[in-house]
Amino acid sequence: MAEKKPTGTVLVAGAGISGIKAAIELAESGYKVILTDDSPQMGGILAKLDYQFPTDHCGMCRMLPLVGREYASQYCMRKSLFHENIEILPFTKITSVSGDAGNYKVDLLKMARSIDPAICNEMGECLDVCPVEVPDEFNQGLTKRKAIYQAVPHNTPKLLLIDKQACTRCGECLKVCTTNAINLDAEDEVETREVHSIILASGVKLYNTQEFEDAKSYAVSPDVVTSLAFERMLSGSGTYQGDVIRRPSDGRPAKNIAWIQCMGSRNRRQKRDYCSSICCMFALKEAVLAKEKGGPEVDTTIFYMDMRTFGKGFQQYRDKAVDEHGVKLIRCRVQGVMLKPDGSLQMRYLDPETNEFFVKDYDLVVLSTGQIPFETHKKWADLMNAPLDSRGLLDTEQSSKVRVAGKPGLFLCGSLMGLTDVSEAMTSGIAAAGEATKFLTALGVDTMQEEEIAEPAAHRRELPLVSVALCKCGEKTGTEGLDYELLSAELKRYPGVGAIHVIDSICKPDGETALVDILGETKCNRLLIGACQPFMYRRKLKNSARQAGFNSSMVEIFDLFGIARRGMVEPSTGDWTLRAAREVKSDIEKLKFKPELQVSTLPINQTALVIGGGIGGMQAALSLADRGVPVHLVEKEAHLGGYLGTQVEHTVDGLAPIAMATDMKLRVFESKNITVHLNCEVEKTVGTLGCFESKLHCKDSDENTYLHHGVVIMATGAHEGATTEYGYGASETVLTQAELKKGLASGDIDASEVENVVMIQCVGSRQKEGRRYCSRICCMGAIGNALTIKEKNPDARVFILYRDMMTYGFYEQYYTKARSAGIIFMNYSLDDKPQVEMVEGKPVVKFMDPVLKEEMELPADLLVLSTGVDPEESNQRLAEAFGVSLTEDGFLAEADSKWRPIEFQKVGLYLAGTAHSPMPLKSVLLQAEAAAQKAYTYLSGREVHTAAVTSMVKDALCIRCQRCVNICPYGARSYDEVDRCIKVDAAACQACGMCAVECQNNAAEVRGWSDKQLMAVIDAKLMDVLLSSTVG
Amino acid sequence: MAKFAKLSFKKDELNKELAAFSKRMLENSAVDAVLVPMAQTKKGVRLTLVTSADHTAQVDPFAPIAAVSGAKIASSLTSRPSGRKVAMVLRPCEIRAVVELAKLKQVNLDDVLLIGMDCLGRYENTDFAKFQEQGGTSESFLENAQAGKTSMSDFDIIGSCKICEFPTADNVDMRLCAIGAGNGAVFIEAITEKGEQALEKSGLKAGAAPAGRDEAVKKLVAVRTEARDKKFAEFRADTSSFEALADKLAACVNCYNCRVACPVCYCKECVFITDTFRHTGEQFMMWADQNGRLKMPNDTLFFHLTRLTHMSLFCVGCGQCTSACPNGIDLMPLFRTCADKTQARFNYQAGRSVDEEQPMAGFKSDELVEVTGQVK
Repeated sequence: MAEKKPTGTVLVAGAGISGIKAAIELAESGYKVILTDDSPQMGGILAKLDYQFPTDHCGMCRMLPLVGREYASQYCMRKSLFHENIEILPFTKITSVSGDAGNYKVDLLKMARSIDPAICNEMGECLDVCPVEVPDEFNQGLTKRKAIYQAVPHNTPKLLLIDKQACTRCGECLKVCTTNAINLDAEDEVETREVHSIILASGVKLYNTQEFEDAKSYAVSPDVVTSLAFERMLSGSGTYQGDVIRRPSDGRPAKNIAWIQCMGSRNRRQKRDYCSSICCMFALKEAVLAKEKGGPEVDTTIFYMDMRTFGKGFQQYRDKAVDEHGVKLIRCRVQGVMLKPDGSLQMRYLDPETNEFFVKDYDLVVLSTGQIPFETHKKWADLMNAPLDSRGLLDTEQSSKVRVAGKPGLFLCGSLMGLTDVSEAMTSGIAAAGEATKFLTALGVDTMQEEEIAEPAAHRRELPLVSVALCKCGEKTGTEGLDYELLSAELKRYPGVGAIHVIDSICKPDGETALVDILGETKCNRLLIGACQPFMYRRKLKNSARQAGFNSSMVEIFDLFGIARRGMVEPSTGDWTLRAAREVKSDIEKLKFKPELQVSTLPINQTALVIGGGIGGMQAALSLADRGVPVHLVEKEAHLGGYLGTQVEHTVDGLAPIAMATDMKLRVFESKNITVHLNCEVEKTVGTLGCFESKLHCKDSDENTYLHHGVVIMATGAHEGATTEYGYGASETVLTQAELKKGLASGDIDASEVENVVMIQCVGSRQKEGRRYCSRICCMGAIGNALTIKEKNPDARVFILYRDMMTYGFYEQYYTKARSAGIIFMNYSLDDKPQVEMVEGKPVVKFMDPVLKEEMELPADLLVLSTGVDPEESNQRLAEAFGVSLTEDGFLAEADSKWRPIEFQKVGLYLAGTAHSPMPLKSVLLQAEAAAQKAYTYLSGREVHTAAVTSMVKDALCIRCQRCVNICPYGARSYDEVDRCIKVDAAACQACGMCAVECQNNAAEVRGWSDKQLMAVIDAKLMDVLLSSTVG
Repeated sequence: MAKFAKLSFKKDELNKELAAFSKRMLENSAVDAVLVPMAQTKKGVRLTLVTSADHTAQVDPFAPIAAVSGAKIASSLTSRPSGRKVAMVLRPCEIRAVVELAKLKQVNLDDVLLIGMDCLGRYENTDFAKFQEQGGTSESFLENAQAGKTSMSDFDIIGSCKICEFPTADNVDMRLCAIGAGNGAVFIEAITEKGEQALEKSGLKAGAAPAGRDEAVKKLVAVRTEARDKKFAEFRADTSSFEALADKLAACVNCYNCRVACPVCYCKECVFITDTFRHTGEQFMMWADQNGRLKMPNDTLFFHLTRLTHMSLFCVGCGQCTSACPNGIDLMPLFRTCADKTQARFNYQAGRSVDEEQPMAGFKSDELVEVTGQVK
């Protein structure tokens, strides 16, 4: 017998959203994850944010697994997370790491919480009596908390802890705690764990206005707050409970609010020559929300240097903020804030439109503070014995944002790459998990062997009979107004009830034993448990049920005490017992009519289809092939390489796309696992996750072949935009950036012969007609070309006419380098575009000097146009073939721009690269890795488990109106034209019930939530007379 | 621009001319079939599917009767399409129901030439028999009704027609125009390109528009709108409480005929006759226990309220529910008053346009905020 291989284990350090995402991905692939966080909470910065653009809602739960839902929690992630394969260790520091790739020993310092969450009954009386008050970190110090506290107000369970630094050991809390959950002498513990791979997801330190010198002239009053503090002022769980925004100093509503961008960032003197990437969108969103909360009369102004709206949908959000919400944007670096005697905040600024100085008073000033990355990177480098690059950041491999150079098995994701928005945090988390998966596969470790507790089939073929177990909660709250005797008597009379049990504390070991006994002995076939916090131990109880031979869907738990704790007593009489009786009765009804539910398995064809043979497509294909997955790689052209891999020699950040593509092509053709289909297009794809069939049309043979595969990755790319503006086409001296790049590389354009070069940015981009979006790569492209010219010919004069330089993140250094090299940057606005006249065959560029406000004329030897990135026209055909949608701009539309950036709405379809939106090569590679990982999650096994609760179709009742198909947010329903009926993709269905609501005659139904059940529940709730008083 | 062709007829020969028109449409392959009201062998007029040019003689589209809603027939003919072109001559209310059913994918308009006839009202089926016995014809009805006289000895056109503000059809390819056409003539109006091609194939020449038509339609709509508003006010006052509503429905025997007759109640099988509503004896007893008594059959009010929730957004006010009730309950005003409010809430009008999305057919996060209470 072969020796059992160890189970692959990965440590994810940091439980912010990218760490959580990486952990979930690994857990879904079957690996064991240890997820730690220094702080006592999960969720990182995002736990503090109620709102994310573009929806201005939360959406964190969208990162939960869609398939295999039974193994993870399925509720608000801001409350908590659960997954069978993830061990979550908040308040745990990594103190030392030894060993090497594939064999790390990690010392974990588990800091003492001083309160045992297993014993604490969360009544919170200790919070009331604690006399110590300190600033609450969760609200950025805007409010106070006790020394004994709950780190996140919406956490469930509450997970109280004691701040040891603040605690005075007065012992008041001990006096009120009835469960002896508090131990003031609890000590930190060190535990050594062995892991195969490590993912760093700690995020970075944020700029602190108290700490840094350059904030002194701004942070002059409590009414000057950071953007994160402002977020807490907006939040429903924050300082004002979601009410109108007021000034911290005097509580007056804030009517004039200003944002100052780049606080702490883009500051060369302070050695912070980087942009923090996310602050522009953060400020725009906050300004829109401030308007929505306070009404349109609230004045919101953002003072900025460049409004960096580079990502997908960013520019459109900016346009909406300005045009629809009236957010004002002023391009000016404000030098400081003056506190006037009346408390208002005065700022002096130069209006670039009029070139005049203005002085204006504000009620509230928000500083858009960014990242302080070097400390965090240094700490990890020391701990991991990993190299730092010349900038002082963890050195990553040139073609990967997540692989740490020279350290196999060590990866990073999230804001360690530079502050990232939600979408990039997700993508990098998935990609890091993908890299770890590849590493673990190569290492030869195993995935978790599923512990099979088989779901028992039909219990007994008999009429429903419910056993009710009521918890007394250790007599503590149970005696306050809840008459167990009356309640038991009442329930005993209720039709369908077989037995009533009152148990002292169901959550305690004794209680558990009592329940298991009941399950073992009962003559009933259904069990209803009335206790508290149902989802905390639902899983444990359901397992006990299975062991006792019960189908776990026959056990329901409901929150008996929540009724009283939320003040939900009987409205007419204030009677808790009466109310409880109603609640129990309605739950009995639900359980009585509930069918036994089973998880089903779907077979998986462990083959992938990758569409697009560019760098992104090849990367995704190779990534899967490396893990042993067979891949069909389809390319519509006669050769691989795509746009970048055939047209672009090198990029500003030192990548060489053509060389990279050449190398990849070799590997693709050498791979046993990849079948390349050149000159082919996919015409139609049918099927669902695990079993797709695609009709492939080959242009060479004019024949169709049919491919069978389990998932699809679309990486169909994009291309440089075309233009007729600025005299393009009239002369060889007017050309696009790509043409210039090619010319410079081939030597067709001799840089030493040019004197004046003018580049115009945003040609046809970021405007209402044409491309509405920012093409993200043109600013870096222009800088790259300009630097090449300058290197060859330092005397050449290069002018770049721009609207906003989109050198976000660490790309800022190239902008700095370009300015140092003498490249001249001139700003122009959309309503005053440069004019080009051809004089003797040469372009002359006329534009307004932004500083002097004078018309300038520049005769140019070369006029270079940044014409942006256009989506492929074939996207339309692709969208139709796969039943996916496009954005208004013609790019492929992902399921959710923030939380599911590389997935389509339909499970099993993924996208990567510029088919998603314009992006630099490194981001393409990152997305390709992430898409491959998403695909691998399902391809790694022969089957996937669906959830027990999914929707279904009662075909005899169905009228085929297809309203359910249109309304399903997960693309789980479709109309089968061959069978002429509605079909449900059980893997994609999330049981949200939208179809059941939409369907008028009950043909669409969610298992376990039938109309019959629900009407019985409503009936029971409406009964207002105790049976004991009418019959008997 | 619409084209009009005048169809003059001698006394008692209106249907002869319309039959000739239908015959030419079939002969010249403008369509492969015509669905048109036609006199039956002995008595009555019913929609009839004609595929042979030799069988058009009995057509009688203006007969003031609609025994079964034509929209239901249109659904039967096209929801699983034949692939053959069919002209459907229907009343405005039937056309509006067809529009709703098309959106619900119960009607497929791909191969349909929709012809809407002017409607001055219809009689109940039993009354139509009397109308014929008393010598009434489509010609006499058109003439009298245009003069404002629809009542006969002891009966009149049905209540829903009296308050119908849509005497002419929209969303059609052609119209059969009687209102304001003058004596001895009706007009055939081609509206869409499809309609014009059909008109050309029918061999009729386009000419002047009927001079008095617009004015006559306007006048009629004004009269009916006034009657509608009066009816709404009366009915609302009459049903201001659950008890009052229950009284209105007192004669109901839960036969569900109203829902069978309703053209937009499109379910194959009503939820009320499925297992969901097949209660146990134990359940009935518990309900009875609540108040010490339970009216049987139960769920009467529930049924009608459910139908109101399901259908009022699509209700076209055809009055088939009232016609179908074996116990004489006038359900039409209940549906129309309710539809008046629900459709207005969504700025929707059943049958107005095929392209308008039906309300509640999609999930909109910013819809009905006052009901959902959703706040940011």
